[in-house]
Amino acid sequence: MTRMYHNLPVEAYTSQGWFDREQRLIFSQTWRFAGLAEDVPEPGHYVSVQAGLNNIFIVMGRDHRLRAFHNICRHRGTQLIRAVGKTQKALTCPYHDWTYDLEGNLISVPDESTEYPNGVDKKCFGLKPASVDVWRGMLFVHPDPDAPSLAAWFGDVDPHLGPHKAEELVEYPEARNAYEIKANWKIVVENYIDVYHLSHLHSKTLYMYDHGKAEYGWKGPHYHFWEPPSAEYSENLEKNLPTPRVIPEPHVGAWVPMLFPGIGIGAGEDSWNLFIITPLAPDLTRIENRTKLANASQWEFQKQEWSSWGFWKGFGGAKYEGKDAMNENDPMASGDFTTEDIYACEQQQKSLTSPYFEVGPPANGESPVTRHQQAVLDFMTAQETAEN
Amino acid sequence: MNTEFHNLTVAERREEIGGDATSLTFAIPAGLETHFQWQAGQHLPLRFVVDGQEHRRCYTISNPPGAPLRITVKRVTGGVISNYVADRLAVGDTIEAQLPLGRFALKPGNMKRRTHYFFGAGSGITPLFSMINAVLLSEPHSVAHLIYGNKNAKSIIFREELGALSAAHPGRFTLRHVLSSPSVWTWSSPWRNGRVDAETIAAAITETPPVAQDVQYWICGPGEMNKSTRSALLGLDVPDNRIHLESFGGAATIDTSVEGIAATAFITLNGAAHTVSVASGQTILEAMLAAGLMPNFSCQSGVCGSCKANLKKGRVHMRAQMALDDQEVAAGGILTCQSVAETDTIAIELP
Ligand code: FES
Ligand code: FES
Ligand SMILES: [Fe+2]
Repeated sequence: MTRMYHNLPVEAYTSQGWFDREQRLIFSQTWRFAGLAEDVPEPGHYVSVQAGLNNIFIVMGRDHRLRAFHNICRHRGTQLIRAVGKTQKALTCPYHDWTYDLEGNLISVPDESTEYPNGVDKKCFGLKPASVDVWRGMLFVHPDPDAPSLAAWFGDVDPHLGPHKAEELVEYPEARNAYEIKANWKIVVENYIDVYHLSHLHSKTLYMYDHGKAEYGWKGPHYHFWEPPSAEYSENLEKNLPTPRVIPEPHVGAWVPMLFPGIGIGAGEDSWNLFIITPLAPDLTRIENRTKLANASQWEFQKQEWSSWGFWKGFGGAKYEGKDAMNENDPMASGDFTTEDIYACEQQQKSLTSPYFEVGPPANGESPVTRHQQAVLDFMTAQETAEN
Repeated sequence: MNTEFHNLTVAERREEIGGDATSLTFAIPAGLETHFQWQAGQHLPLRFVVDGQEHRRCYTISNPPGAPLRITVKRVTGGVISNYVADRLAVGDTIEAQLPLGRFALKPGNMKRRTHYFFGAGSGITPLFSMINAVLLSEPHSVAHLIYGNKNAKSIIFREELGALSAAHPGRFTLRHVLSSPSVWTWSSPWRNGRVDAETIAAAITETPPVAQDVQYWICGPGEMNKSTRSALLGLDVPDNRIHLESFGGAATIDTSVEGIAATAFITLNGAAHTVSVASGQTILEAMLAAGLMPNFSCQSGVCGSCKANLKKGRVHMRAQMALDDQEVAAGGILTCQSVAETDTIAIELP
């Protein structure tokens, strides 16, 4: 009998077979986060991103419109470009120097007359186009050049994501980082959307928000979440915010949606954060964090830091202290909610391969967890049906 | 093609830009409402009888689909119909119209997410005004940018309406006026002085680069402006299939290098065969009308496409072919109003 973890077989979190199916049916068939709009600031700039099985690059033309192509040379498949960069008018493959213009047209084949006595019909070997769009200051790519629009994909959830205008905020480069979690990507998602754990795992770290008043729900496969500031925090909210506001008053609270698949946002009164989840292996997941803050002067930041100092100096602490902690490196003594989350995910993943693992009943605050499992199942089923 | 004319009654008229243009709103006869549907940017082929003389014209519908059927006609010095509309046509009068048509059309989609750049000049605003409204009404995830050239503030058609639209849709519609000879004291300064030229176009796009990446470019102005706007966009590597244009007041380029020879034309019209002689320098349309045939036509300037036909035999020279795309031309499509004979026998089939 298949052992189940709520709606999914436990295997869905541990096996290469499931991982491969998800790569094919989910991550290669959805809009994938590809960076912030400012990563491609000017004509000629490009970035590439792995989107499931596809590597796609985005380049800006002189008309300031983005083009997206599969990063595959039409000669023998070599990836054309690496990471980020800037070009003038053309992209040349490093292997045999086939060259493409920014519309993806093959424009030159070296030694064509001697190497290809019959010529190469260049029209037939243009780069394969993909889709690209910008939404809430983020770049998205889709491997299908005729993908349904981002409006169709995110339109329903969009009104629940808060009043933030990410495109008007500025990135805080020190907060940009990436790390790996030794757990399946769905474990990481489930942790992100588990409302039950907020008052427990994070009892000492996230209590400036009132988890009891959280409002959350689903629009298709996308999860939205909002909670108000706690009474203590909101008493002097404007004073207590650690950095200048990014949304106008009277908006308050934390918006923490998880868009499908694995695109987490955490946005509050004074910051906007991305938490991008990328599966690397059945038990390994990459997280990319980026943060944007108000477009305000150094002085504004300084003032806000001083005014909020009183609130934050006594705030927070370790969940386990003193002899409850293993040692000074105990994640549960870190006083940092991300460290707490990573620890919980990795400890949970470890048990999934045990023959004695058996899942307990989900709490009310875990309804998002089981709902996400269903969303994964439904999405894969729909894709499989469409394939057949 | 449905070539039947229907009587429309003028329900309302309004002077624009101090009487230099007139907007006419029509009452659609009962039972024909579902037929008189249009897409934003399409035009209305009209037949006027003025002092016993029949005249055909094509005017763009200046309202979005769903709003009242309205055209806006700018007065042309010496123009029979534009002056007739401005000075004599009254509420309650009737004119004859065919159903709306035209390929310069923006079909909004409520799930489409596009950036539309509109480049217009003078009365070229009429289809653009309809399109912009259609985007703002029926394409909620898209934005529209209008770069609109005029001589001076007084000659800006729909100035108040456009201003109101940009006030009502701050995040979705930007409006930039370009004036070629602004008078200093009449109005707050335009976005730029000069013309809608390559520099202006590049500046506009850099100032408001596309957010939604499905970008479409719509151009409507006099022929020369259309040509230069299109080449400015192509110069920025805009793919041609994203550029849509229509000219008013005649096609972009009139190629009169070929005079046309006298010929015999074998015409198939509504399934009946006719033999018509074409004089040298005469268009096929003129020859057919002179012979008493009743082919469909409207603008007579190569823009509307009403007079489209298929060339089955022989060769013709087209002075303009705005209303045809390359595939249609390759497949033998011609505009009879623009075609003169190049061989002494030709055969033409009309739809
Ligand atoms: S693989 Fe790219 S040029 Fe040969
Ligand atoms: S009548 Fe309009 S194109 Fe010929
Ligand atoms: Fe957490």
